[in-house]
Amino acid sequence: MDGWIEFARGPLFRIALTVCVLGLGYRIVTLVGQIAVAWHRAGDRRLPLGDIVAATAGWLVPRRLWHKRPVYSSASVLFHVGVLVVPLFLAGHAALLPGILPVWWPVIPEAVADGVTLVSLAALLALVVGRLGSASSRAITRAGDVLVLVILFALVLFGWWAANPAFSPFAARTMLLLHVLVGDLVLVLVPITKIAHCVLYPFTRLVFQLGWHFPAETGRHVAQALNKEGEPV
Amino acid sequence: MAIECSYYLEPVDTSDLPRRYLEGLAAILSHSNYAMVLDTACRVTTRCGRCSTSCPVYETSGEDRDIPCRRSELLLKVYRRYFTPFGNLGARFGRSFEIDEAYINTMAEEFYRCTACRRCNLECPMGIDHGLLTHLARWSLAEVGIVPKALVVATREQLDGTTRNTSAIPKAALLDTCEFLEEDCADEVGLKIEFPIDREGTEYVFFPAVSDYLLEPDTLIGNAAVMSATGGSWTIGTGAYDGINYGLFYSDRMLDRIVSMEAEEVRRLGARKILIGECGHASRSAKFFIRTFCGADDAPEVVNFMEYTHRAWKEGRLELRPDVVSQRTTYHDPCNIARTGWIIDQPREILRHICADYVDMTPKGRENYCCGGGGGTVSIDEIREFRTLVGGAKKAEQIRRTGAEIVVAPCANCKKQLREVCEDHGLDQVRVVGLHDLLIKAIVPPAEMLIEIDDAAVGAASEV
Repeated sequence: MDGWIEFARGPLFRIALTVCVLGLGYRIVTLVGQIAVAWHRAGDRRLPLGDIVAATAGWLVPRRLWHKRPVYSSASVLFHVGVLVVPLFLAGHAALLPGILPVWWPVIPEAVADGVTLVSLAALLALVVGRLGSASSRAITRAGDVLVLVILFALVLFGWWAANPAFSPFAARTMLLLHVLVGDLVLVLVPITKIAHCVLYPFTRLVFQLGWHFPAETGRHVAQALNKEGEPV
Repeated sequence: MAIECSYYLEPVDTSDLPRRYLEGLAAILSHSNYAMVLDTACRVTTRCGRCSTSCPVYETSGEDRDIPCRRSELLLKVYRRYFTPFGNLGARFGRSFEIDEAYINTMAEEFYRCTACRRCNLECPMGIDHGLLTHLARWSLAEVGIVPKALVVATREQLDGTTRNTSAIPKAALLDTCEFLEEDCADEVGLKIEFPIDREGTEYVFFPAVSDYLLEPDTLIGNAAVMSATGGSWTIGTGAYDGINYGLFYSDRMLDRIVSMEAEEVRRLGARKILIGECGHASRSAKFFIRTFCGADDAPEVVNFMEYTHRAWKEGRLELRPDVVSQRTTYHDPCNIARTGWIIDQPREILRHICADYVDMTPKGRENYCCGGGGGTVSIDEIREFRTLVGGAKKAEQIRRTGAEIVVAPCANCKKQLREVCEDHGLDQVRVVGLHDLLIKAIVPPAEMLIEIDDAAVGAASEV
């Protein structure tokens, strides 16, 4: 068992992390490239950058969220706080990257991590219930949306059981192995699922704003491509 | 099978339709920036459903198909399948959908249930602009001939017809109308106004929604009165005198051709700027797309008439009497000028000055509700029931809550739609007017505008 755990949080973790980092890097580089090309092609390159920055930053402090569907929105905020704080600042996680994280890297007490983890679990449950319980959300939900939530729930639950064996139905080492394996899986999934918004978010409003800035020749080129030049309306 | 929608279509050639649709979409994606938009939408959409909480159509209909995210998914699904490596890979293993006529028919119906008001964009945590996706989807459909007949017939007359405007008003009729409006203002209000025609070297060339010449004489008289009172340098060009641009609603190719026509008319007359009348989409299409298609910094500046009037008033070149309108008045923000925050406060400042009892709707400004006729749907008479009872229901409720007798809607499309909304929702006491309709009563005219001092006539005109 210990050998499997060491493998999962050693080489396998490093491979998964590499895939995650390179994948996200690829996502960022390709999107920035697309943005640069789109801006260069745009007939009008003047962008309302102030509005774009304000809207992007505005959603990081999600005041607006509570106007509509407050329970679902609160769960979303708590979930996001949980998935940022515990993975990044739990001492056990920081220890996975010896010599890579700087010495000043902050770690949170285990009791705090336990509390945040429980809140995250509750939030994840609320997100699943909110998604499947709301007619409008259910109507647009795809299997992958629920699957991602289930995988994340398993990841967090296994981690909490590993840290609190008294509440675990299985041995702590088993839970730890499952937690690490699912964690490795999530790292690989990050760049290829909607979780990629963790790095693409800062660019999305710029993209949609830039989307309205068409290339000056777009209409004529499309007409040429479709042999519709000079064709009456 | 034939393509059948709730709106009228010209006959659609359905031979090999899916392939031709995909060819059209491929051409658009190759020569535009939309691939970036679709890529990003596919990657970040979380399908949280928040957009459903802000859509006036979904809030009333409650139908799943009206959820903005779900509607956009119709296009994203096609993009994922045919234009991404994963989609192509999935197809090789037989796990994918194939676009067919029925699917295209569904897109044709759904994307014209969206009023393109872009209110959902404010609510999306990821900033996804479903209005932009609707815009693209409609263009892709237009390339296989799927466009509401009402839009394409009007655009055909504007671009290829003899009158070069969407209402098919011949030049002679335009000249007659302008002359009639001048006489009408002199007789009824006692003010001398002028609609200059083909005057060269002016500051502005005027492009109202051309339907104003048929339906909104009071707005036009108010426009001309402001120009006369401020000594504005403007003209109407007989080469192109229609600000309407349905290209914004269904095709970037048409959008380009129409704004280019406006810019060309400005050049022909040696003018410097474009003055758009009271019309939301005409203003937005000119303001934001003349720069795109007509040379960015070399393109003529675009000014909305309300901006002109507000500036003149603030600078002291236009004097307005306070409180000349006694009835309770409210203001409807046309989405195309308010959603970006462009024109929100200017008309309100004027209205608070000239109206004794002004009240705002809630929500307003950037957060306003669409009148229900946005995205060109107002021109589709055959879907009136949907437009007014579904799309316009939130607006009707807003108007009712204000208790207003006058709704100022500075947009030709919004005015038509709101009149029908009020009619269909039993708001019989409400009158829908333009901002400049009210201004004619408030302007303190310079001496040279007065034809004769006739207190009775002026007094009568002051009564709204």
